Amino acid sequence: MNFHSAGKAPPRMVEAFDHPAGSIAVAKEGGAVGWQGRLLHIHIAPSASYEMEELAEAECVAGRGIIGDRYFYGTGTYSPKPDVREVTLIEQEALDSLARNDPPLQDGPIALAPGDHRRNLTVIGVPLNHLVGRRFRVGEVILRGGRLNFPCKYLEEILGKAVFLPLYNRSGLNCGIERGGTIRPGDTIEMLTS
Amino acid sequence: MTARIIMKLRVENACMTTADVVHLRLVHPLRPELPEWTAGAHVDLRVPDGKIRQYSLCGDPDDRSSYEIAVKLEPGGRGGSRWVHENLGMGAVAHVSAPRTNLPLASGAENTILVAGGIGITPLLPMARTRRGQGKDFALHYCANSAADAPLLDEVREICGSRLRCWFSREGSRFHPGVVSIDRPDTHVYVCGPERLLYTVQHGLPMLPDDRFHGETFTATLDENFKAEPFEATIASTGQHLLVPADRSLLDVLRESGFSMSSSCELGVCGSCECGYRNGIVIHRDKSLPVSKRQDRLLPCVSRARVSVTLDL
Repeated sequence: MNFHSAGKAPPRMVEAFDHPAGSIAVAKEGGAVGWQGRLLHIHIAPSASYEMEELAEAECVAGRGIIGDRYFYGTGTYSPKPDVREVTLIEQEALDSLARNDPPLQDGPIALAPGDHRRNLTVIGVPLNHLVGRRFRVGEVILRGGRLNFPCKYLEEILGKAVFLPLYNRSGLNCGIERGGTIRPGDTIEMLTS
Repeated sequence: MTARIIMKLRVENACMTTADVVHLRLVHPLRPELPEWTAGAHVDLRVPDGKIRQYSLCGDPDDRSSYEIAVKLEPGGRGGSRWVHENLGMGAVAHVSAPRTNLPLASGAENTILVAGGIGITPLLPMARTRRGQGKDFALHYCANSAADAPLLDEVREICGSRLRCWFSREGSRFHPGVVSIDRPDTHVYVCGPERLLYTVQHGLPMLPDDRFHGETFTATLDENFKAEPFEATIASTGQHLLVPADRSLLDVLRESGFSMSSSCELGVCGSCECGYRNGIVIHRDKSLPVSKRQDRLLPCVSRARVSVTLDL
């Protein structure tokens, strides 16, 4: 049974390295090297505003997204402008810093559980802000960093928490999927240089 | 409009509280606590095809383990209540938003008069419970055809005790505002039920200041004799012409034509679907838009046009 609004076209995705941000970054040398991170949690939501659901494994489809997610189906909240949203990632370290009120730009510690922040993948040990224009792997899946994620007022409304400013510049990374496959929590994440 | 999280809740209990009202208890399959709420709050329930129906929470605001709603089967309605009755049995999954309060209890009120008509008991029952818990004065007038037609009557009796007065028309007893005393300056009156009940109470208490009268009804339009006529809607940006038949809303026709319109109550109350128009005589049937905006804005869920209208889309 379909509970989601009908008549909405799927989102138009732009290839990560064609995005205005990704296309500049990809032509520049840089990006953090020598790191290795890990996938902690996978979350999807079937439609805009729905609670995120945690998965023990997820199927990533190149050029589309994670099967079952709102951006895969075109049932998410998005502007008509083409964008990179096949998979979104956030650092556990950013969530940890919110929880310890660091920097103290907010009213106090903010507990943002992995199911609350509405990004698909919660990762640890991955310098996401350095991965625009870079290719990296999550288990067998290859992702391309397209642009930095940006906090939105919608997230504040739905959480009932003032997270806009605290998440500024550490809101994660929007990626395209270069090579699809299955991912699971615990998968190794590392940079691809070739 | 504020975005609210939508949860997939499990129907833990479903029982008929009258012949045509089902009382549902909903729990989260993973979380022991649901988002908090206060008396007068409602949730949006998703029914198929992305449509939404709003139901007042009728349980205990202090019990965060479940939400309770009561849904009356409306055979002549838009199909939402029938879907609930046919599909939300025990163990079924209901897609439910976090609560929002459109009819809050006034914080300073020491004396609260509640007047419920039938299924209109749902937002008022938690108000009675809250006032009882606060040790404040309240009275509940409960209007229905008979005791058998009064949803949640056992709970209402238990919570209200001697503060309850039932008005069952089949027993020859009809509510009249003369029984309500508003002499105390801190008295607030809450009415939920059919439009005519709100009208009766408000006009029967002419001395009650507007800010102490709080009403909620289920339908936006008073004119039950309104006969919808077909009309043509033109889309300003494209010149596209859409025919809106007499038995369909402008909102429905726009959606079918690929316009992504936000909406919520679809009763002309919430204002979510507001859109601009020009060149046309619009029959405004909503309860949301102020007169100052009606020259160029309309709510396509209930409002229509005479012959034709051009929409700013």
